[in-house]
Amino acid sequence: MPTIQFGHHQVHYELAGPPGKPVITFLNGLTQNANLWKSYAEYFVPRGYRVLAYDMLGQGRSSKPVIDIKLATHADMLDNLLGQLKIEKTHLTGISFGGIIALDFAIRYGQRLHSLTAMSTFAEQTPQLELLGAVMLQGLAEVGLPYLQSMLYPMNMSSAWIAANRERIPAMKRAGYIGNDGYAMQNLMESFVEFKPLTPELHKIKVPTLIMNGEFDFFTPRECHEVIRSQIKNSRLLIIQRAYHAFTLEMPAVTMRQLEVFLDQVTAGTWQGNQSVWVAADDPAAETQWLPCASDWMRAIQIGTPEPVAPAPARRKAPTRKKTP
Amino acid sequence: MIDPALYDQARDRIAASGFTPEIQTRITLLLCTAKNGNLMFHSGVQWMQSLNVVQQFILSQYSRELEAVTLLSRTTQWSKDPALAMEGSRIVAPLMLAWGQIMMPPGPMMNPQAAYRGISLGHAQLARIRLLPVIPDNADPLNPFVVALQRIEQENGRMLQTQIRLLKNIGTEIPIEEREALVEQDQELVDGVFNEFLRWLAAP
Repeated sequence: MPTIQFGHHQVHYELAGPPGKPVITFLNGLTQNANLWKSYAEYFVPRGYRVLAYDMLGQGRSSKPVIDIKLATHADMLDNLLGQLKIEKTHLTGISFGGIIALDFAIRYGQRLHSLTAMSTFAEQTPQLELLGAVMLQGLAEVGLPYLQSMLYPMNMSSAWIAANRERIPAMKRAGYIGNDGYAMQNLMESFVEFKPLTPELHKIKVPTLIMNGEFDFFTPRECHEVIRSQIKNSRLLIIQRAYHAFTLEMPAVTMRQLEVFLDQVTAGTWQGNQSVWVAADDPAAETQWLPCASDWMRAIQIGTPEPVAPAPARRKAPTRKKTP
Repeated sequence: MIDPALYDQARDRIAASGFTPEIQTRITLLLCTAKNGNLMFHSGVQWMQSLNVVQQFILSQYSRELEAVTLLSRTTQWSKDPALAMEGSRIVAPLMLAWGQIMMPPGPMMNPQAAYRGISLGHAQLARIRLLPVIPDNADPLNPFVVALQRIEQENGRMLQTQIRLLKNIGTEIPIEEREALVEQDQELVDGVFNEFLRWLAAP
C-alpha cells in the first residue's frame, strides 16, 4: 500500500484508475479503513473515474498518534494528500466520521471540490448524539474495543443483515480488532471534546452537495441531515429506503448507483441543488432512481385523514321500572 | 506495524494443536516479561514526589500487573522444555533491555526522562501486545488459560487509560511532535518483538 509523509505521520492510501480522469475520494467511518472502498473502485474505475481511499490518522495502516490529534487535522491532511498526489480537484464522499471531515473540508477547502456527498453524518451534536458518543467512549475505555465493536454492529446494520451474516461476524470483528487500536479510536472520539458545530459555516459550501441518510438510521437520524440540508443551498437530501447507518457496507449496489446518478448530473451540468428531498429507488437497475418524497420526511409515520365519524345510534329508552306497590 | 497474517498463522496453529503446554508456555513467557517490566517500573515510581492523585493509579496498575502475572503463572500448563525458555528469552530480550535502561540508576523516580520512557513503553505494551486474535473459534471458552488471556487483555485496556492520560497531560517542555516520535519508537520496538513472537507461536 503506498504511503505519503504528513509531518511525522505516515498516511497509507489506495489510488485506482488511470491519471487524467476525475477523482472520487472516499472518507471512512470511525472504525473503517481504505480496503472497504475496494468494491467502489471496481465499480467507478470502469466508468471513467479514479478512486482515492486512505486510512485516516488513527486508522488501519496509517500512523496512530498517541498523544493528540485535532479534528481539524484530518481535513488539513486531506488537503496535503491531494497536493502530494497532484490532484487539483476531487469529488469528495464521506460517511459518518468521514462525513464530518468531508463537511469540514468543503467549508475550508471548497475550491478543491467538484462535489460533496455527506452520508450518515452530522454537522453538530444533538443531545442524543452527545450522550451516545459519551457512552461509546466509556464502553471503549472501561470495557474495551471488542465491546465497542459489538455495540456498533446492531447500531450500524439491519436485523436482516445481521441474521444473514451471523456466522461471519466473529471473523469480521477479529479483523477489525487487529486493524484498529483502542487508544487510537479513543483519540478520534476524544477529538470531539473540542468539536465546534459546523452548522454556522455550512452556508460556505457552494459545490453540488448530496446528503444521504438511511431511512431507519437511528444513530444519525433524519434531524442530523436536515440541519445540513437546510443550511446548504446547493444540496439535495436523498433517503435510502430501509437502510440503517452503514448502508455503504450493507447496500453497496444501491449506494454506488445513487453516487453515479449524482456524479453524472454534476458532470453533465444538469444538477439542480434546490434543497429538495428525494427517495432512492431500492433497485439499482430501475429506470428512475430518484423518487420525489411525497410526505413529511422528518416523520417515521404518515398520518392519514380520519374517516368521517358515523352518527351515534339513537339510544334506546331505558325501560321504566314498575314501581312496587 | 504488526502483520495481520501472523495472527492468522498463529491461530491456525493453535486451532490444529490446541493450547498445548508448549503454546501456553510461549505466551506466558512473553506476557510475563512485558508485565514484569511494567511492574518493576511502577514499583520504582510509586513514591515519586508530586504524583498526587496519579499515585493511586500507579499503585493500582502495579497491583493489577502483579495479579496478571500470578494469574497467568498459575493457570499455565508449563512445558518442561528448557529450550523454549531460552528461545523465549531471546525474543523478548529487546523488551528486557529497554526496561533495564529505564530502571538504570538513578532510576525513573529521580530521572524524568526515564519516567517518561517507562510510561511510553508501558503504553506500547498494553496497546500492542494483543492475544485475543490468536484464540481459535473452536477454543473451549471455559479453559482456564483462555479465560486468563481474555481477562488480562480486557484489563490491559483499562490499565492503558493511566498511560494515555499521563502521556497527554504530563507537564513537559518537550514539543508534542518529539513526544509522539518517542512514543512511536517504543511502539516499533514492541511491534518488532510481537511480530517475532507471533512467528514463533505459529512455528511447529
